[in-house]
Amino acid sequence: MQKKEHNVVGQYTGRLDAFGKVTGRALYAADRCFPGMLYGAVLRSPYPHARILQISTNAATRKKGVIAALTASDIPGARVFGVVVKNQSVMAEDKVRFIGDGVAIVAALTEREAREAVGLIRVEYKLLPAVFDVEEAMKPDAPRIHQGDNVFIHHKVRRGSIEKGFQEAEVILKRSYRTQRIEHSYLEPEAALALPLPGDGIKIECCAQNAYSTRRSVSEVLGIPMNRVEIEQATMGGSFGGKDEVMTSLCCRAALLALKTGRPVKMVNTREESFLESYKRHPYILYYKIGAKKNGRLTAIEARIIADAGAYASMSPFVTWRSAVQAAGPYECLNVKTDAFAVYTNQAYTGAMRGFGSPQVNFAIESLMDELAQELNLDPLELRLKNCFTEGSVTATGQKLNPGVSLKEVLQKAAGEMKWEMKRALYEGEKRNQDYIKRGIGLACSYRGVSLGAEGIDAAATVVSVQSDGSVIMWSGISDMGQGAQTAQAIIASEVLGISPDRITFFPVNTSRISDSGPTVASRGTIMGGSAAKKGAETVRDSMLKEASIILDESIDNLIMYNNWIFSSKNRTKKTSFSALAGECFNRGVKLFGFGWHKSPSTTWDEKTGQGQAYFTFVYGCNVAEVEVDTETGQVKVIRIAAAHDVGKAINRAGVEGQIYGGLVMGMGYGLMEEFSIQEGEPQCYNFDEYLIPTACDIPDMKAIIVENPDPLGPFGAKSIGEPATELAAPAILNAICHATGKRIRELPADLEKVLLDHKLKRISKRGSEEK
Amino acid sequence: MLPEIKYYKANTVEETVHILAQNKHAIRILAGGTDLLPELRSEKQNRKVIILDISSIKLLNKIEDEGHFIRIGALVKHSQMVESILLGRHAGFLTQASSLVGSAQIRNRGTLGGNICNAAPCADTLPPLVALDAELTLESSSGNRTELLSGFIRGAYKTNRANDEFLTWIRFKKLPEGCRSNFIKLGRREALSIARLQVAACGMIDSNNKICYIRIVPGSTTPNVFRFTEVEEYLLGNEPSERLFSKAGDMVARKMVEITGVRWSTEYKKPVIAALVRRSLQAIFNLKPGVAVK
Repeated sequence: MQKKEHNVVGQYTGRLDAFGKVTGRALYAADRCFPGMLYGAVLRSPYPHARILQISTNAATRKKGVIAALTASDIPGARVFGVVVKNQSVMAEDKVRFIGDGVAIVAALTEREAREAVGLIRVEYKLLPAVFDVEEAMKPDAPRIHQGDNVFIHHKVRRGSIEKGFQEAEVILKRSYRTQRIEHSYLEPEAALALPLPGDGIKIECCAQNAYSTRRSVSEVLGIPMNRVEIEQATMGGSFGGKDEVMTSLCCRAALLALKTGRPVKMVNTREESFLESYKRHPYILYYKIGAKKNGRLTAIEARIIADAGAYASMSPFVTWRSAVQAAGPYECLNVKTDAFAVYTNQAYTGAMRGFGSPQVNFAIESLMDELAQELNLDPLELRLKNCFTEGSVTATGQKLNPGVSLKEVLQKAAGEMKWEMKRALYEGEKRNQDYIKRGIGLACSYRGVSLGAEGIDAAATVVSVQSDGSVIMWSGISDMGQGAQTAQAIIASEVLGISPDRITFFPVNTSRISDSGPTVASRGTIMGGSAAKKGAETVRDSMLKEASIILDESIDNLIMYNNWIFSSKNRTKKTSFSALAGECFNRGVKLFGFGWHKSPSTTWDEKTGQGQAYFTFVYGCNVAEVEVDTETGQVKVIRIAAAHDVGKAINRAGVEGQIYGGLVMGMGYGLMEEFSIQEGEPQCYNFDEYLIPTACDIPDMKAIIVENPDPLGPFGAKSIGEPATELAAPAILNAICHATGKRIRELPADLEKVLLDHKLKRISKRGSEEK
Repeated sequence: MLPEIKYYKANTVEETVHILAQNKHAIRILAGGTDLLPELRSEKQNRKVIILDISSIKLLNKIEDEGHFIRIGALVKHSQMVESILLGRHAGFLTQASSLVGSAQIRNRGTLGGNICNAAPCADTLPPLVALDAELTLESSSGNRTELLSGFIRGAYKTNRANDEFLTWIRFKKLPEGCRSNFIKLGRREALSIARLQVAACGMIDSNNKICYIRIVPGSTTPNVFRFTEVEEYLLGNEPSERLFSKAGDMVARKMVEITGVRWSTEYKKPVIAALVRRSLQAIFNLKPGVAVK
């Protein structure tokens, strides 16, 4: 028999969770109920910045059906939480910091009673001056939102001498770019059910993305040890980085009400509440200066980046760190200076969202590279090929890249797929036509650090437990939010054990059943969880093979596990089924349980010099987009988009393609239509009627090009795809628009008005729909 | 969350007018529910809402050929209109407009009567219906009355409908033989899109190649939807030409600003409505292969 390199890895495998989701049988947190359950509701601040003078819950408590009404003063433990900076209120104590900040909570017999009771809580506020503009907030006399300066983060990257770099330059461009605030738009709004456990414990079933950080905060807020807080993930309806702090505060609130009343409490946000209170993607202002020789070689890149953090720190320290590290793009440049700031303002806070600080800087640097190409009269692809990282390149943070730098490969594959040269010339020629539809083609590329990098310790656990009938149970500390983490891990375990993935049942994350595996973020699910799954499966495999060797009287080296059988490569009659072997192992007292623990190679970072081994490995990607622009209406239609991503090794090709397609569409929404606008602290949209994301009808023809250069640091060579997939579509599309129209849009999104008029139109009067 | 609801269901026109007459307070009429449901969810007051479900009145769920006229029941859904050969033949732009409403799910529930009575300035079926000089029949316990659609709508979300009456029929004259029609909707995306601007137009030329029939109704441009008769008069008797149509477009744009004054969106809407009117006329008079605009 000719053995393929892999049997299950690299195929198109159906998702373990598909059946439940397609048939509607999957139970999400909001679908669950418990006997005697109460419903919780939240009173939120109507003011962007105000001191709380007094809160009275008397009228609410007296209302029929109301069991409890709580404020910050009822919290037994810590009143604030935060993974990096502990300053986010579970319920506002001294003051509210944005419209939507939680102030008080109520538990009642029905949802209606709870929501009505919230309206009976009286809060006396003293309004404080508020600040909404991020650059205003940086001024010394701006209203302070927390203790200390509003500018609470400043990350630096310093390489070479920026002065020298600009002196050497023959062309220097200075440009500024802006990106907008956007909503994650997960299908399932936040939901949590808290159940009091005997012995002062609490169990929370919820859709938290990062169960362990949520558990830590709940434990601190309740003032009980972590072993009495059990967080179990219900089926999740998407997250995209969005169910971290907003879920933590919801879980804390539900837990407080459950402990106070001694009854289960369910809290589910409406879409409007979710839009109001949940955090968003950071709007950035980016000031760039780039220097180059006439031949296109870069000599200096300088970037000053300001992120609007909103009311709370959330993940801003890490988001802006990634921005600082990757701000200069995937280009060799000896002189780089980056400063990234995070600043508090009185509006919805901003935090983690798929991409995590890269979509903003990618939009800037990739627009700028196109502007530079135009200035130098070079083809944008040529300029990138001239400067992009290759084997042995050193990044802006002084890190020598691991072997497998495939930037040229992804650039050439994506450009080749789209017939770059031919179309670039063709559309250039069409500009002279009278037709008001103009076509254009544009590209963008990136490198991206995989996993957490120097943000912190990076380790994860997965358990593989083979049953005596040959079926398998797995569970992990890595969450599946719909991205397919469980399926990827199951495939990896199947490959190791020579079984089919449908033998595996995967249990959701439960913080009391497996070690803290860190957050499921930073595209680390497959590389970290998959590595843990591989180790767990290998432990079981080794003990099973040892036993098989005795039973079949064959050396371990000659045994093959394949297609649910174990047989000798020398003598095919020597064989046993996986199930029979599992039963035999059980009877002989052989351990069929594997605990896999994987810790990533270490990274380094020096805040002072802005240099270090920022990430242990990187991925490379390129998007090429083709658009039609209606130059009389500003309408943009993305005709086709190709995405080439080096994923190391595709564990599940169907999963990788799905991530690429979804990522492209999300990136397209970011580029063309999405904008969570806030005016004077007040959100301008509360639901999907006015917050526009692409529909099925807007999706262009998409081509996913999976590039595989296996990385020894990942399971079977696999790296990442979740975030790389969404970080390039917007700049590729905007570059294509510029190619079509000759006009450069430097502020996202490229909506009708900006494409037609070159500038943003601000709504100053009420809409027709509000005149009702 | 939905408010508390008191629910009535009527199966006939008679039952409907009876229930309407008995409840002096404003009853909310449920036909397709595609506007009503989101509206109820966003209501802040804790008042009980009375709903009258008329979706099962079979009589009002058909499109009838009356010779020179077409009569559409108020409960006919957008998807039925899209599929109607009769409408496609004699009021093509109305079919087109219905096909661009919301999404497939909304078109399968949303009714023509609902689209009219909700009177959103961006309602897709209003411009073609106004261009057709559609006439409405409203029924109440004291009998029925008819009114021109253009007069019935009194502004954004405002109509002449009294609390005790409801819309039963929409009736209009078929477009003349040889008349071509066109509907353009400009939105921010391809589906579930609230129109930024619309243009409904129909017209024909005589044997001398002169425009002898023309109707132009822009949508989402002014609080009321109406025919821009000055522009129509300007076009009548002229030979179709790109220049003529550009001029007509500019006239529409100027007129729009006269009515609405300069708003935040005027800088955008002014040149764009002009272009859309020109394109719409070009498409009708075959000056240029029609470029699809969504």
